[in-house]
Amino acid sequence: MLLEAKSVAKAFGNFWAVSGADLAVEEGEIIGLIGPNGAGKSTFFNCLAGETMPTSGRIAFNGQDVTRASPEARARAGIGRTFQVPTTFEDMSVLHNVMVGAFLRHPHRGDALDHARRIVALTGLRPEQRARSLGTPGRKRLEIARVLATDPRLLLLDESLAGLTPTELHEAIALVRRIHEMGVTIVIVEHIMEVIMTLTKRVLVFNQGHVIASGTPEAVVRDEAVIEAYLGRAHRRHQES
Amino acid sequence: MVVVQVIVGGLLLGAVYALFSSGLTLIWGMMNFINFAHGEFVMLGMYVALLVVLWAGGGPAVFGIAAALALFTLGVGIYAALIRHVLRGPMLAQILSSFGLALLLRYTAFWIFSANFVSLPQTSLAGTLNIGGIFLPIAQLVAGVAAVTLTIGLHLLLTRTTIGSRLLAVAEDRTAAMLMGIRPDRMQALAWGLSAGAAGVAGALLATAYPWSPSVGETFGLVAFVVVALGGFGSVLGSLYAGLIVGLIQAVSAFWLGAIYKDIVVYGLFVALLWLRPQGLMGKA
Amino acid sequence: MSSTPGPGLTLARVRGTVGWGLFAAALLLYPIVFADAFYRDIGVTFLLAAISASAWNILGGYAGQVSVGHSMFFGLGAYPPLLLYTLFGWSPLVGVPLGILLSIALAMAIGMPTFRLTGHYFSMATIAVAELIRIFVSTWAFVGGAIGLQGPATARGWWDVTFRSELPYYYLFLAVLALVLAVTAVIERRRFGFYLRAIKASERAARSLGVPVRQTKMKALVLSATFTSVAGSLYALKTGFIDPDSGFGILVSVQMVIVAALGGAGMLFGPLLGALILIPLQTATNTWFGGSGSGLTYILYGGIIVLIARFEPGGLFELWHRLAPRRWRGGDAA
Repeated sequence: MLLEAKSVAKAFGNFWAVSGADLAVEEGEIIGLIGPNGAGKSTFFNCLAGETMPTSGRIAFNGQDVTRASPEARARAGIGRTFQVPTTFEDMSVLHNVMVGAFLRHPHRGDALDHARRIVALTGLRPEQRARSLGTPGRKRLEIARVLATDPRLLLLDESLAGLTPTELHEAIALVRRIHEMGVTIVIVEHIMEVIMTLTKRVLVFNQGHVIASGTPEAVVRDEAVIEAYLGRAHRRHQES
Repeated sequence: MVVVQVIVGGLLLGAVYALFSSGLTLIWGMMNFINFAHGEFVMLGMYVALLVVLWAGGGPAVFGIAAALALFTLGVGIYAALIRHVLRGPMLAQILSSFGLALLLRYTAFWIFSANFVSLPQTSLAGTLNIGGIFLPIAQLVAGVAAVTLTIGLHLLLTRTTIGSRLLAVAEDRTAAMLMGIRPDRMQALAWGLSAGAAGVAGALLATAYPWSPSVGETFGLVAFVVVALGGFGSVLGSLYAGLIVGLIQAVSAFWLGAIYKDIVVYGLFVALLWLRPQGLMGKA
Repeated sequence: MSSTPGPGLTLARVRGTVGWGLFAAALLLYPIVFADAFYRDIGVTFLLAAISASAWNILGGYAGQVSVGHSMFFGLGAYPPLLLYTLFGWSPLVGVPLGILLSIALAMAIGMPTFRLTGHYFSMATIAVAELIRIFVSTWAFVGGAIGLQGPATARGWWDVTFRSELPYYYLFLAVLALVLAVTAVIERRRFGFYLRAIKASERAARSLGVPVRQTKMKALVLSATFTSVAGSLYALKTGFIDPDSGFGILVSVQMVIVAALGGAGMLFGPLLGALILIPLQTATNTWFGGSGSGLTYILYGGIIVLIARFEPGGLFELWHRLAPRRWRGGDAA
């Protein structure tokens, strides 16, 4: 069990954004987290990533308790994440951006440079280009490259494939698949069904703070509770009649 | 009885601190921007009061309003010309912009008015009241009461009026506010106007009771930081309580330790707050 | 965009090296060519400004943690040499390491609470602490109060670092500047430098990549404080006098910020460029306008800082990068 989250809950004042969510991820899996907006999946994701501390519950990574670990500590342990809104280092080149990630496991400049070059080549970006001059798809790819350079065992992708044209989307999906084939376990939060259907083998559906369904993408998509969550009770009644 | 007088005097001055600090806290709460030039707004308010008295011979109400309007305009202008652009940029630019502005305003004032201390010629607020053995200069009393009123007024403006809720909406979530048809740019400009205006009026009130020179801007700026740190960034009501407390502490320190030490105590309080309780008495961190 | 030239000679590299070589030679020969005390003094002032601003740059330019009260370290470096001389008659040099220790202690005292919070807290703390120390020192008779302290009037030996000519000071300062720049250059290439720039660009992203943000900021602050303290010591050694304003005053802090920001905060030679422009400018306005000139100087400083913030926060170097044709700039050396 690479990642295990048990009874994770997060309250903001009186509002429980996440009220008891479980997740178990084996090494090598590729899991999807979906759900309507405000369902709590992003908050849960942030608990996994260390950006928010859960109010209660336990998160273990590779046997270690990381519930209250900082993002830095998680990165060192082998958990990497991307951001919904790309946070690339604008004034640095693509290569330098990736080097920041590479330095985690390669403290010496020469090694970090080599490692970063290889990763950049993998993603097809131009090393000398300034991050600022990249478009959104380029920035998203750079974020992925940068976190990949930290040699993560688990990669948490936060809607990293949103806002792309169909062609860009296919390239991005191919990239994620390549990363998975390299042995990285992936948890992906996504709205785009194509990504979920083609990439993930198992999906968790969030609604109102907890997991309402879990299973293969095909099964989950037909689950009544899931349909009701997205489309409302009226549609479910319509289905029944 | 002297102690009571010191306390009352401190509270009255603290009320004025509360007024101008509420402007600073508004900007911080709304835009996450520290205005290093805020003390200079107070200082300029004092000089506007002086100019109005010298040129137009008006009374406190006149120069008070003049200071408010003049600084309101300046605040909006500064927002439009400078702040609006640096808000989107790196932190370095934001801090440099208000810091540079402080220097610009301060040394221009030195250039125009010289470093000599000045005070307002006799106004209708001259004289001292004797209330049960406590001697209160009328100017200080009026300044304190007016300051409390205006600060509470600002708080009510923000929390009970439509325009206030629009300002707070932009502070809360800029994008959501935009989607609701509120124009963040306008609200932010208004906030800057209110902030500078509050500082300007506070300056005019101070001018009735104390002498000053362009150097006071720096001191008031730091006092505002202390008040905002104590009262909580973004809370006008917090500024009110904190301002009174800071005024009180300052007066008592001056009384017990001597005038030269009062600033040390106040700045020391600020540093202690940063160490121990950065979110202040009532604000969010 | 151009691709990185590989190792070895390229025209741009040769041009770059020759250019810097000429500049270094100019710096070395300046006080000999311009032997008048007036010009040498400008040279010394320029070097001191460059050292202070380069020290500030490590934290403010590279890591983006803007200190507007850096004079606190400057003063802490300036007072001990003169204090130990005044009290015990010791060589002022003894006070230099003491100043460094005090500055490091202060740096840690400020960094620890404020680096937990957003960047604004740090900036506010710096201005408050600097003022606090300034006022405190001005009321403390033991360290000279408002009057200040003086150093040796005449030298008892080389260790008093009191020379009649500006020349030894010039080369001493030049050596220290070379040291600060060398250290900065080394930092720039290594992991520490990359981490500083990452923190400046986005702390959140840096954290997610394993950058130990608080420790990195603290190291930068301590390094910056150390060099600033040395600059303060150099100032005290040269002028033989210090008081609360020249040690801890806000104008000392302002000059560091503007010199670095004008030339290019976050760039190795930014502070040097800033000093090259501002020190002659400052001397000129002081000379032309006499006493009132210093008031005008600070109006000018304020205006320049505002313009930089508004239009080109990256300073003149950044401006040059944007406007100059690519072949003059050379490649983006990794």
